[in-house]
Amino acid sequence: MAPTVTSARISLGDLTPNNIGQLRVLNKILFPVNYSDKFYKEVLEVEEFAKLAYFNDVCVGAVCCRAEPIDTNDKAAKLYIMTLGVLKPYRGQGVGKKLLNHILEHAAKDKDSNITEVYLHVQTSNQEALSFYKNQGFEITGTTNDYYKNIDDKDAHVLTKSVNQ
Amino acid sequence: MNAKRELPAKENAIFKNILRNYEHKQYKKGLKLADTILKKFPEHGETLAMKGLFLNNLEKKEEGYEFVKKGLRYDLTSHICWHVFGLLYRSDKNYEEAAKCYTHALKYNKNDMQILRDFALLQTQMRHYDALIETRTQMLQQKPTNPPFWVGLAIAYQLVGKYDLAIQTLEAHESALREMPVNFEHSELLMYHNRLLEEKGDIQAALEHLNTIEPKVCDKRALKEKRAQFLLKLNRSEEAEKAYRQLISENPDSYAYIRGLIAVKGFDSGMKEDLSLHDLTAEQQSTMLGIFDDIQKDYPRSNAARNLPLNYAKGENFRNRADVYMQTALRKGVPSLFVDIKRLYTNAEKERIVEELVTGYAKSLEENGHFNEDGTQAIEPPTAYLWTLYFLAQHYDKQRKTDLALQTIDKAIEHTPTLVELYMTKGRILKHGGKIEAAARVMNEARELDLQDRFINSKSAKYYIRDDKIAEAEKILGLFTRPDAASPLQDLTDMQCMWFALEEGDSYQRQGKLGKALKRYHTVDKFFADYFDDQFDFHTYCLRKTTLRSYIDSLQFEDNLKSSAYYIRAANGAVKAYMTLADIPKTANGMDEANMTEAEKKKARNKARKAELKAQKDKENKPPKKEQVKEEAAPKKADVKKPTDEDPDGEKYLKTQDPLASALEWIHPLEQLAPKVIDTHLLGFEVYLRKGSLLLALKALVNSHKIDKNNGQVAKNVTRFKEAVKAHPPTNEDVKAVIESQLATIS
Repeated sequence: MAPTVTSARISLGDLTPNNIGQLRVLNKILFPVNYSDKFYKEVLEVEEFAKLAYFNDVCVGAVCCRAEPIDTNDKAAKLYIMTLGVLKPYRGQGVGKKLLNHILEHAAKDKDSNITEVYLHVQTSNQEALSFYKNQGFEITGTTNDYYKNIDDKDAHVLTKSVNQ
Repeated sequence: MNAKRELPAKENAIFKNILRNYEHKQYKKGLKLADTILKKFPEHGETLAMKGLFLNNLEKKEEGYEFVKKGLRYDLTSHICWHVFGLLYRSDKNYEEAAKCYTHALKYNKNDMQILRDFALLQTQMRHYDALIETRTQMLQQKPTNPPFWVGLAIAYQLVGKYDLAIQTLEAHESALREMPVNFEHSELLMYHNRLLEEKGDIQAALEHLNTIEPKVCDKRALKEKRAQFLLKLNRSEEAEKAYRQLISENPDSYAYIRGLIAVKGFDSGMKEDLSLHDLTAEQQSTMLGIFDDIQKDYPRSNAARNLPLNYAKGENFRNRADVYMQTALRKGVPSLFVDIKRLYTNAEKERIVEELVTGYAKSLEENGHFNEDGTQAIEPPTAYLWTLYFLAQHYDKQRKTDLALQTIDKAIEHTPTLVELYMTKGRILKHGGKIEAAARVMNEARELDLQDRFINSKSAKYYIRDDKIAEAEKILGLFTRPDAASPLQDLTDMQCMWFALEEGDSYQRQGKLGKALKRYHTVDKFFADYFDDQFDFHTYCLRKTTLRSYIDSLQFEDNLKSSAYYIRAANGAVKAYMTLADIPKTANGMDEANMTEAEKKKARNKARKAELKAQKDKENKPPKKEQVKEEAAPKKADVKKPTDEDPDGEKYLKTQDPLASALEWIHPLEQLAPKVIDTHLLGFEVYLRKGSLLLALKALVNSHKIDKNNGQVAKNVTRFKEAVKAHPPTNEDVKAVIESQLATIS
């Protein structure tokens, strides 16, 4: 009974006040940053821009973004990915890609604002993340020294991908 | 006829209206009319009684009783007055008194259909089956055209085991029915008839009957199942096999059908205890496993066909089957796999093989992503490793290898920290390791991962109660109880939440708050009384709807209600609390110091003082805030009557004059319904020994010894019993002889 294809179902789910505990646990493991209660309150408001990812029905990753208006007059905005991460044993299975694609897709058709680009920060030392985003069409558009406060590698690259509405 | 009962024509008409008002539940209207009659005839008994009945239905119970009794006083020979009196008692669930009233009522009007009908319901509820037969017969004689009366009489006969009469009654009824269309009611009637034949033990007749009624039966599945069972019982193997194979083709996942087929093939295991079939010869084993394999080939998706053979296979054969079975489940992510597999652990060899397999999986998955070293297969999903660790942690926990279990579950949590089940298992492991507080903390972590899951919410609360943190637990439970309830406690009591009452009872017992503990246990007892009362309406409903087979099942279920594990737990708790009360000599500080050394006394006093202080503190710290909330919430719901609890601390139970008698009230139902459960006799022993009833204590002791002679408490009780005999030797020589001979059998 040798299975040629292993079973792997990847799906996304909404973030709700009831499962926000999952996000807290994920963030604690995945990122060297402590997120405030304000963060967890805000991500409940952004609808499709915050999602949990499930691998075979087990929660293994999440993405959280916020829209940043460029100009209040014409709804122009950039979408900033605050966090995007997948638990280590589940990397390389397409979970992160699924999360990112979901964000890009909804950025392109967002009604509330006119999103022109998606961007994020990555530690300059984080090769795994840098190659992931480059593979997904992001480019390094800048570098901020001492971006992170209380951790060892403080420098961060800014990665950007433009969005075609 | 009583002269005083006669009313003038006008009032008589009004009285008839009053009766109609009652039938139509127009209580207020009826009350008004009753008052108009009473203005002119204040001593008219039947009107007074009816007024009482209306008052009772308008929530004025005491006034109701007053008027009914007054009415009776004026007219002692009125069947209406007695009937009404019975109705009042019945609404109070005082069935004994109600039955007496009905008897009186029938004395003065023995053919009143309404009274007979009510009486029959009451007799069924009280299980007075012999009397029920009389009532039912009388009803039928008066109104033989009413189908439910025929059925009612048949049931009455069945309930006392007079199957022939029951069958005759049904046959008479059926022959009177004209050609019936196929409908559910008639189908049920026929299947009930069939069941009577089966219960009577005439399987041949039952099988033949089944064939004749087949075209008119709607419940085809039940019919096929019965036929297969009958053929099996009659040893008509070929036909039985065909019948079971047909059933399996309709539902290949039914354990019962596959077991039936196995039984046909001569492996009758009494259906459930098939683990006892371990001692088959190699040849028998392979025949039997062959049957399963055939089914599996025909129905590859049948879980039953893969699961059941694990019970019978041995050695390498078992290893191969378990290997495939568990790999499939782990790959798929079946959380309940361990719960499924652990039944096999009654066999040490199987336990060892399972352990070898799963530890092998864990090692191999960690190293190379395959279940086995020679992994030529595709890489397994990461969740396979996760579920393997989860399984292994439960496995070690079952073996009470706490450290190893904790290590394993922590590894799983590190792998996937978002999975609620992992924390639940960790909590359970900690609990088993005696770390109650840590267990509660971890269970709460699990809850916080999924706030909308009531199961984990309850688990978390339960673990807090185990840690005697009642306030915390009730707060957590409050997230799911109705927001308009007075308190989570009130809501959970209204909802008859058993585990909660039991856990709180046990907790209060640990804390030495016996009143509250007893209150919780008696709450559980009340639940059981309610369940029993709840069947009342079904005595009419089921006859009308002819759901007779289920009705009989439910009567039997109700009869055995108190053999439920929940009741046994409550009885354990309550008896223990009453024993503590019984053991307190009435000293100033209420402690039994007679058998204590000085040091022990000091310790006990300190402990009591601490408990008291703690209780005091709890009282000061906790309730005020809550009470306020309650009061604010209460007025809103003023229209719904919410009886305030006048005795939240259960003082009334503490005041019992005779704790031993109170304890016996718990034990008697157990002696009747759960004589095979050791708790029944261990509890009985405690009470009888204290009462000085040596023979009853001895009987309980012998019974408990019969059930499990290795039980630690039994050995202790033997010693205690001998000491009691030595302290108060029986004077009667016969008693002495009985004790000696019985003791010889158990020591």
